[in-house]
Amino acid sequence: MATATQEKKQNIKEEDDLFAHRISIDLTPENARFTPSGGNLISLEVTQPSGDVEFFERIVPVRAFPVSSPNEFISIREPDTQLKGRGSEIGMIRRLSDFPDTVSALISDELSRRYFTPAIKKIHSFSEKFGYCYWDVTTEAGRVEFIMNNPTANIRTLEDGRVFMYDIDGNCFTIEDPKALDKHSYRKVEVYL
Amino acid sequence: MKLRFDMSPADRAAYDALTGKDEKIMYCLPFDCALDKRVDGRMVFTDQYIYKILGGVVEARWEIRKMSDFSVEVLYGCCAFYAKVDGVSTRLCRFISGRNQSRYTTIVGACEALAKGDTKEYTNDEPERYCQKCGRPFVMHTHICPFCQNKKDVYKMLWGMTKGLRLMMLFPLLTATLAMGIQYVVPVLQKILINDYILFEDERANNWFISFVVVVAGIVLFDVLNKLLSVLQSRIAAVAGNRFTRFLRTLLFEKIQMLSMSSVQKKSTGDLMGRINNDVNVVQNFITNLLPSYFAQVLSFVLGLVLILTMDASMGTYMSAFIFIPIPFVILCIYLFRHMMSRMNIKAWNKGQRTNRMLQDVLSGIRVVKSYGKEETAVAEFRECTNAQAHQNEKNAKTFDTVFPLLGFALRSGSYLIMWFGNVMLFQGRLDVGTLNQFNTYTSIIYSPLMQITQIPRNISAFMTSFGKIMEILEEEPDVADTAKPEHFRFKGNVSVKHVTFGYESANPVLKDVSVEIKAGEMIGIVGHSGCGKSTLINLIMRMYDPTEGSIEIDGVNVKDIAQQSLRSQMGVVLQETHLFSGSIRDNIKYALPYATDEQVITAARAANAHDFIMRLPEGYNTIVGEKGYSLSGGERQRIAIARALIHNPPILILDEATAALDTETEKLIQDAIDKLTDNRTTFAIAHRLSTLRNANKILVIDHGRIAEFGTHKELLDQRGIYYKLVMAQTRAALEKG
Repeated sequence: MATATQEKKQNIKEEDDLFAHRISIDLTPENARFTPSGGNLISLEVTQPSGDVEFFERIVPVRAFPVSSPNEFISIREPDTQLKGRGSEIGMIRRLSDFPDTVSALISDELSRRYFTPAIKKIHSFSEKFGYCYWDVTTEAGRVEFIMNNPTANIRTLEDGRVFMYDIDGNCFTIEDPKALDKHSYRKVEVYL
Repeated sequence: MKLRFDMSPADRAAYDALTGKDEKIMYCLPFDCALDKRVDGRMVFTDQYIYKILGGVVEARWEIRKMSDFSVEVLYGCCAFYAKVDGVSTRLCRFISGRNQSRYTTIVGACEALAKGDTKEYTNDEPERYCQKCGRPFVMHTHICPFCQNKKDVYKMLWGMTKGLRLMMLFPLLTATLAMGIQYVVPVLQKILINDYILFEDERANNWFISFVVVVAGIVLFDVLNKLLSVLQSRIAAVAGNRFTRFLRTLLFEKIQMLSMSSVQKKSTGDLMGRINNDVNVVQNFITNLLPSYFAQVLSFVLGLVLILTMDASMGTYMSAFIFIPIPFVILCIYLFRHMMSRMNIKAWNKGQRTNRMLQDVLSGIRVVKSYGKEETAVAEFRECTNAQAHQNEKNAKTFDTVFPLLGFALRSGSYLIMWFGNVMLFQGRLDVGTLNQFNTYTSIIYSPLMQITQIPRNISAFMTSFGKIMEILEEEPDVADTAKPEHFRFKGNVSVKHVTFGYESANPVLKDVSVEIKAGEMIGIVGHSGCGKSTLINLIMRMYDPTEGSIEIDGVNVKDIAQQSLRSQMGVVLQETHLFSGSIRDNIKYALPYATDEQVITAARAANAHDFIMRLPEGYNTIVGEKGYSLSGGERQRIAIARALIHNPPILILDEATAALDTETEKLIQDAIDKLTDNRTTFAIAHRLSTLRNANKILVIDHGRIAEFGTHKELLDQRGIYYKLVMAQTRAALEKG
């Protein structure tokens, strides 16, 4: 009888292993130590609530609200790998500013590489042809020509006035304040706002 | 896709300075993103090293044998290429999403091989999506670059489309021209009438009455002829227009039906409907209505001018000069207002679209709105939308209704000059009343097309856009196509999947090197967590898509060589979400086999355990179902779907979570039905509830796109692997509930 119960318990434990997911914790300066890794990426040493210390050679920061609050709720994840599929969440940073400057700079830097949304400074030309829109703009990242499928669907105005524009490859360009653009540039986007 | 790009001379020099002689360039890809700038650099992959070269400087060099774990990660607005160098994760480069993603994915495989010392050359068979000449993207799914495409080809295509309609198209042109010509004859007769009969001063000739009648009759006759011609023209235009629309719509619809799943899924139903309805209308209207009328108007303008000039050379020159005086001014105004007008139009259109979207969103989600008590929010939102729309429309109407009449007046102001000049000439006796009248009539005829000519550019651009959208579909090459001599044969039901790798986007393979042999008549249960590739495998067996690598064979024949018609007609499919077409239950069951007898319909319904509930409906098998018909429960719909899958007695049956959304009792009924129909059929059943699979001969467990386990129920339980754990977990859950 006793062995049967034991075996059952053993089974239950095994199942739990299968369905067990990493439990995401709140990351604070106390339990998480972010350091630059050897390959110029970010490593993390995290102290779990149980007291175990785990080390990750490389972590990936991901914004939960990339549009509305880019510096809050940052998910720290294991990288996605071809073999294991999507990486799971190690923990979440509530506010980037909770961390010392060196750390928040490290993470911001990585985030700015992950979210490449150059701001448009000037619109040189805009033309519509064969159902596509061709934009020629100067951005922070240099002069870019991009192509958009359907401007009404791919230009998104936020409540705070910022504008997001998506090209056919899914790349995103922003206009921080359309009214601050010069008159000619503004005229070209005005109708879609 | 190209995997070996050229290097700029500076980059090449930098590369040459560093490399030994025995190094061989395998691949060279561009990378275009550095920190926060767009750049144009090259990643050079040799058989020994990877070089990162930017602006004539080798920024980094890695020894490929010391590297592992190559991967491409899709970030936001860019992608990054990672690898481990001596076990340390490193970002090798970043590049803008879209153009190069697929190339780098291939390179990942190539690098893994190179790191092991294998110098086999990898290729990427995906077609280029960007024009090699100008770098702009091709029209989706085609190899047409709208910029580099020869304009002649477009017109040729258009010409080809008008086959069978050409005579009809010629007719409106002809009649319009004739009607124009007649317009110019009437004033000549009027002149005779005025000068010879109304203002006559001399003695009348003897036969004056007869010639008077002839002139008047001529005026009436030409007027009647003119009207008759325009009636004829409208009728022919209507017929030609309708035929053209019908022809083009059918062509489009046929083509859409022929397109493969992957390309149809990328377009929304609304978009496709828009193309079949609106774009076809725009093209048709342009070809059968606008084109002839523009032609006639231009002709009339030219003819009018020529006539005025030939009537009286010196006076005609003055007259035509007067006609032209206001034209530059009006054209300038229109040019200045053009941007404003198009902006206002787009604004109004956008506001209208916003209202439409909001309406559709809220109406289709009315249950949610009501159950959360959000009616007032919805009304407020709608009010705001319609207010904005109404406001814009009002503004547009006010502006347009002021600007256009003013412009019209300005344009016609030339006729006042003519009247003044004509009258001065008349008083000086250098012109008679009849000729003056003729001049006046001609100028008004000349003016009428002018206002419309200004709209030609806009209409042409609208036409080109719509035509482009239509051509985009017509020119699309289906990626899943029959071979030249597709095979037709009756399946036994042996299915073998051989080293299949497939991803909806080549950057993320969903299935990786999957191989499995299934004998005829076996029932295979497919298990795995959601997103692991179960449905994808089924889609590949049905050949909704073609695998990137490997092949799928039925009875030893590659599915690519089997006629799609033959392939699908021998598969019965029951999906989780059942779509019943509007029509009777009988029609729905007969869908796959239109010539089925009523007896067959009943047999299929019985086998699907659907007969009893159908008999309880007041109209039995003739009950109308579908969107507007009798509302059936999920289980009932599902059983009709099973009957539909059964009626043509398919050798291969596919059940994609057919019972997932049902309650236990209904599931039992359906399960019984399924048990009956899986006899002697190769069956693939995807299920989350493992109890559904109790009769399966073999279970296939898929994990992260690979086959994790394959064997009988008992074998897998003994293995104590994933399947064992899933079974234990579900039993435990069931016991705990009980």
